[in-house]
Amino acid sequence: MAKVGVYVCHCGSNIAGVVDVAAVRDYAETLPDVVIARKDLFMCSDSGQEMVKQDVRDGVVDRVVVAACTPRTHEPIFRAAIEKAGLNKYLFEMANIRDQDSWVHGHDHEGATEKAKLIVASAVAKARNLEPLEDKFTPVTDAALVVGGGIGGISAALELANMGHKTYLLEKKPSIGGVMAQLDKTFPTNDCSACILTPMMVEAYNHPNIETMTYSEVDDVEGYIGNFTVKVRRKQTYVDWNKCTGCGDCASKCPSKTPDEFNAGLSDRRAAFIMFPQAVPKKAVIDIDHCINCGGREIGTEPKVNQKTGNPILAPCERACPADAINRSIAHDPKGSITEIEVGSIVVATGYQVMEKDWFKEMAPASPNVITALQLERIISATGPSEGKLLRPSDNEKPHTITFVSCMGSRDENFHTYCSRFCCMYMIKQARLLKEKYPQLTINMHFIDVRAFGKGYEEYYTGARTMGINFFKGKVGGLEMLPDDKLRVLAYDMESATNIEYESDLVVLATAVELPKDSVGLAQKLGLQFCGNNFFRELHPKLGPVETAVQGLFVAGCCQGPKDIPDTVAQAKGAAAAAAVPLAQGKVKIEPIISEVNPDICSGCGICVPLCPYNAISMKPTADGPRAEIEMSACKGCGVCTSACPSGAIVLHGYEESQIFAQIQALTA
Amino acid sequence: MIIDQQKIDEAVSTIVGYGGQNILNCIQCGACSSVCPGIKAGFPLLCRNLIRHLLNGELEEIIEDSSSWGCQACNRCTEICPRDVRPQEVVFAFRRYQANELAFSTSSVTSQMNLYETGHAVFTDPSALRKQVGLPETTPTSAYDDKAKEEIQTLINNGPMGELGLF
Repeated sequence: MAKVGVYVCHCGSNIAGVVDVAAVRDYAETLPDVVIARKDLFMCSDSGQEMVKQDVRDGVVDRVVVAACTPRTHEPIFRAAIEKAGLNKYLFEMANIRDQDSWVHGHDHEGATEKAKLIVASAVAKARNLEPLEDKFTPVTDAALVVGGGIGGISAALELANMGHKTYLLEKKPSIGGVMAQLDKTFPTNDCSACILTPMMVEAYNHPNIETMTYSEVDDVEGYIGNFTVKVRRKQTYVDWNKCTGCGDCASKCPSKTPDEFNAGLSDRRAAFIMFPQAVPKKAVIDIDHCINCGGREIGTEPKVNQKTGNPILAPCERACPADAINRSIAHDPKGSITEIEVGSIVVATGYQVMEKDWFKEMAPASPNVITALQLERIISATGPSEGKLLRPSDNEKPHTITFVSCMGSRDENFHTYCSRFCCMYMIKQARLLKEKYPQLTINMHFIDVRAFGKGYEEYYTGARTMGINFFKGKVGGLEMLPDDKLRVLAYDMESATNIEYESDLVVLATAVELPKDSVGLAQKLGLQFCGNNFFRELHPKLGPVETAVQGLFVAGCCQGPKDIPDTVAQAKGAAAAAAVPLAQGKVKIEPIISEVNPDICSGCGICVPLCPYNAISMKPTADGPRAEIEMSACKGCGVCTSACPSGAIVLHGYEESQIFAQIQALTA
Repeated sequence: MIIDQQKIDEAVSTIVGYGGQNILNCIQCGACSSVCPGIKAGFPLLCRNLIRHLLNGELEEIIEDSSSWGCQACNRCTEICPRDVRPQEVVFAFRRYQANELAFSTSSVTSQMNLYETGHAVFTDPSALRKQVGLPETTPTSAYDDKAKEEIQTLINNGPMGELGLF
């Protein structure tokens, strides 16, 4: 017969402020098999844990129920305690009388106390039926994958590589660098973005432990912590990168133009192109969607022959390439190629995109002189379309009045309710850079609030005020296009409670940060979840900021939520440290609260296979036909298969039928 | 100004009760005010500023202000509002509060009387101009239709407006 000990926690006033803890303790004592019931101000404190341990050591109890807070944070603490005292740690059950009771029934003390008694009774009923379980271990592949080659991904990869782990750095574009490579200077120190980023790009690319895979995407992921198999699709470059020297001759000869993504659409690039001058690796690709197959040189066809000379007629890119890296006669597979890599942990740092101005109809998006902040960043960058000169797009004239509008699509019920967090600061940065370079420029900045949250940021903002930049509190309501390509700004000054109307030559919209569309497909492949703001969900908003619901999968940077460069780097290094833990341990623990198939009962119907959210179930052939088998390292113990199995052949250890029915009985008695 | 929670609660519940349900969504961004033609015309207590005063618990203090009657119901504030406050509803809720306290602006009495007498809140006699351009002197609207006018007056007399005892 089980000897159950019940320990009721006050949780300070969190529980005791609502629930009559003494009454719950008294009640627990009357439950079957309960040999002892105690209470304490904080059960998780040293003295509280010691109380439990002493009862275990004395042989008074062999099942432990703690009625307290959430098992999410505290179950591991008590399991460790009873294990230390010599009891199998799975002979423990937690009754959550805080989150599920005192916190939600604060208005009804009596009712809450009665509910607490029921929750305890249910936990005791389960505890009586608990069986000891054993942890299992599985070996780990000592390698990591970092998805995303922006500043977050580069930082994480360097950190992992410097710890001695083989690291794959995956980037979907032809070059690593991410959005940071597009920026001019960075707040609050105004250091040149390229100057601090490029050395890191080169370091990562040349690191002996890093294998950089650009122009590549995750095609498929299988496996679990310690043993992921990732299929990486390298998109077709149509250029032999082993031969390409990055000279750019192909791009200069290619006649087909398309908007240059790197310059945020402000200029054109060619179909054959190198992403930007400091690209790493500096290699050309042919964007086949915009290639016009000059001279009928379709990929994979033999060239026509010049009737007079007898020479083959090649496309300009082929002719231009001095390294012989472009050969359009080769039947390149448009789908690219697949490489399979084995890794123990994965860091996702896929970054963000900014909203396009077309979403904001009231902001005259048709005017070329209404631009996004990222476009201004390219205009003022030395590598941008105007080589750093401030010229407005409509006529390449120097503007006299420039307007900054904050919170376009952020803090807005119609688009994104969250604050995009770093727009205030980059707007101030852009204004400061412009005012330093062009002191005569009138700069009007319109904010709802100025959020200068980081180290040195407030001083950076107040400094901007002393430079003669005009700040207005109040959101801009609209822009009107005027005949001479100017814009009438309809604004408001909250402090004086008056309207503002003026003509501006250039208007910069700080559009919201959001998760790129193609991140949704990646999330599905990896099993990542989304938070309410449609970014990747971390395991815990405070205590698990880099972990995810999938063990061995970590997040960093703007794909988890808007953040600036310092915060991205900090989180990336945190994610790298967390991702290195299983690699350093060499093995990972598998909790035994997982499902198991009884092959004698399984009918082989296969219903469970597609239901499993973790791809842990497969059909294995046996002499009696196929039987379901659960890969224990992939199973998360969610119980979907157990509840769906029509034969009742799957048992979820720790949540067995006898245990659950005992709980129901206790709750309905 | 003294911050008095009771007054703030009373102001909010009064406005919510008169139809300004979303007043507490406001983050005081001011987008409504930047597009408001009433503010441009010199009525200071509209949109953002009106909401601010109400959220400060001021009701009686601003009851005589005529700004709310300057609202032309163009709805631009509601269209631009990023927080679904529906500022125009708040302005109208404040008007209803004013009306129920008989705090009509003189500017509004004329239009109320116009509405009662002609069926139009804004009414100018068009006959001279119409005659000049060769149109019939009267328009086919309630202003020249005794039966329609009688119906309008019956509706007003039997509705909440009638209860105010203006007519």
